[in-house]
Amino acid sequence: MTYLVNEVCVTLHNNGSTKMKLRPSLRHALRLLCLTPLLLSGVHLQAQQVSVPPEKPTQDEWDMGEWAEPEQQTYRINGFVEAAAGWRLSDDPVINGRSTLADLRAQLQVDRDFSQSRISLSADVYYDGVLDQAKAQVRELAWQGNLSSLGQWGTKVDAKLGQQVLTWGTGDYVFLNDLFAKDFQSFFAGRDDEYLKAPSLSAKFSGYFDWANIDLVITPEFTPDNYINGDYFSFFSPQYSPISGTNVAPRFSVTGAQLPASPEYAVRISKSLGSTELALYGYRGFYKSPSSRTDTGLATFSALRVYGASAITPFAQGLFNAEFAYYDSTDDGHGTHPQIPNSQARYLLGYEQELVKNLTGSVQWYLERTADYASLLSHSLTPEFEPAHSRIVVTQRLMYRALQQTLTFNAFNFYSTSDADGYLKFSTDYSPTDDWRLTGGVNVFYGDHPHTFFNQFADASNAFIRLRLFY
Amino acid sequence: MKKYSLLATGLLLLSHSLAAPLALAAEVDVDALIQEAERASYYSGNDGRSDARMMIVDNQGRKQLRQFTILRRDVSDNGDQQMMVFFSRPSDVKDTVFRVEKHVDVSVDDDRWLYLPALDLVKRISAGDKRTSFVGSHFYYEDVSGRAISEDTFVLQSDEADAYVLKATPKAPDTVEFTYYVVRINKTTKLPMEINFFKANGDNYRRVEAIKIEDIQGHPTVVRSKVSDLQTGGYTLMEFRNITYDLGLDDDVFSERSLRNPPQQWLN
Repeated sequence: MTYLVNEVCVTLHNNGSTKMKLRPSLRHALRLLCLTPLLLSGVHLQAQQVSVPPEKPTQDEWDMGEWAEPEQQTYRINGFVEAAAGWRLSDDPVINGRSTLADLRAQLQVDRDFSQSRISLSADVYYDGVLDQAKAQVRELAWQGNLSSLGQWGTKVDAKLGQQVLTWGTGDYVFLNDLFAKDFQSFFAGRDDEYLKAPSLSAKFSGYFDWANIDLVITPEFTPDNYINGDYFSFFSPQYSPISGTNVAPRFSVTGAQLPASPEYAVRISKSLGSTELALYGYRGFYKSPSSRTDTGLATFSALRVYGASAITPFAQGLFNAEFAYYDSTDDGHGTHPQIPNSQARYLLGYEQELVKNLTGSVQWYLERTADYASLLSHSLTPEFEPAHSRIVVTQRLMYRALQQTLTFNAFNFYSTSDADGYLKFSTDYSPTDDWRLTGGVNVFYGDHPHTFFNQFADASNAFIRLRLFY
Repeated sequence: MKKYSLLATGLLLLSHSLAAPLALAAEVDVDALIQEAERASYYSGNDGRSDARMMIVDNQGRKQLRQFTILRRDVSDNGDQQMMVFFSRPSDVKDTVFRVEKHVDVSVDDDRWLYLPALDLVKRISAGDKRTSFVGSHFYYEDVSGRAISEDTFVLQSDEADAYVLKATPKAPDTVEFTYYVVRINKTTKLPMEINFFKANGDNYRRVEAIKIEDIQGHPTVVRSKVSDLQTGGYTLMEFRNITYDLGLDDDVFSERSLRNPPQQWLN
């Protein structure tokens, strides 16, 4: 990574009139990024912190610099460059190296507005130093607009077509009815929260009617989560770990015939009654992580249907939410197949409130109740590693904003009372100007047993730091 | 953009005050006055749109800018309101949308939502203290949406040539950081021109000022305002441009639909 940074920096320093015709703000951002290795090695970065005595506002100050005139362009370009690094807090016997995050990334966003619609692009290119690979991800390339040109009915229907990130549901870091792709590798590694959601190539139709709103999302090609596969973090294998005494890191990915060929369908019907929001959900597709195996032992995604409901409403001084989802594992209707997950009922209750000025707290209680549990145990090849009949997770979040919201602390803890394990995610953001944001934090997995949901990642516990420069 | 000197603005105000009818009535109806002031400040027309930009200057002189468009619709005058704030700059908040259903009944919390485009997430926000920073500025949420006049007790402090000066004391002092504030209401426009907030020891620690007023469709409108943290020296300037009232904004505009798919016809 350092090599690449130096490469870019040398180019910038040597050639002020680089052929790339970078915008001044981007050039400034890249120059600052070049200082990142210094920052990461503990050298204090003073560039943006020159102390200027407070000024009286003058008439000229109202010009607000380059924002003197309102933007009139029909298209807009922005984005950021970012350097991120993270390290394992302890060695992982099956993965070489301590590095868990080593990104040098640029994101480009381009939007073009039309009178009734918009085309937007958001693309990342980055060098992943952990895998020593250059990567690209199109997070959004979509047309969004109203369908009124198709007829009177279309005035009530919006569509968003193309590569996009999708989210719904009421949980905080806990997803029941949101079956859109997630990126757990990024979440565990300490990338920005926006990377928790992975994009999918989908068509989303939203109808807004007096009786309710309906959203329908069709994803023609199954888009799995970016699941933990051993690339960055190892995981527990019921077959191999008890023998070897270690996790496995097979760096596998499911391809070919093991990938589902059918589309995914997701629907939400929502309605507001006063201040209360109610929703019903349905999903027809597949488990988003390869939690099943074929008869020949290959990892795959088995069929899944989900039916659910949610409510969110002001309560006492805060917000109360409740969500339910039934996961119908249609390939294993009676829980007799040891290589396919059983059906589950999932429940979530949550409450969030501002505790004192600028400090918000929230708690969630989450239950996964496995159907046909006796059948699961009697058919399982490794019954001792199956989760409890009722897996319970409670979460707590504390968020504190200080220094005029330029400094934010966020602590989020998952704790499973049934597994006696948990995951603490702590991060702090500092951004006193519009130009940059510095983030640091830790992801800590803990527990009593090597096989449980969170504690299997104990060796993945890491600390991370990120510097993002906006242009 | 037209520029006015401070002097010209001052003269403008002076001429207003000269033209104003003399305060003949010996007794000022304070209740009626603060209702008028509230209407003039927050309820011009039945609805409205405005582009806004804000410059936040911290005590070290570091600057941050925010640019956004506000849409507002009154459910009733001096009553409930709907509001949408569409951020366009800087890039880390671009396309973020803030939605408020304001309830004047102080026992009912405002409903608030935030749309975060990077996650396609509509996040309901718990009610919270309204006297916390609005998007990192020195303005409070309450300065933007309006503090309900029923929350304070107003007493006429002085009746000056161009302004009424009122002292306001909170009915629930535990819920706010001030002990009282003093507001100067222009006699002609009924706009609050300066509000000074005080602690119990008489320390004037915060000031909100209307810097520039323009007549928009017959409504005197604050187009430049400033809030100062008199303790740290930090301040925020806010300027409104392209203001239009009575657009006929429909109830539908103020909905989840507009969070995800902003109504371009009202934004550009």
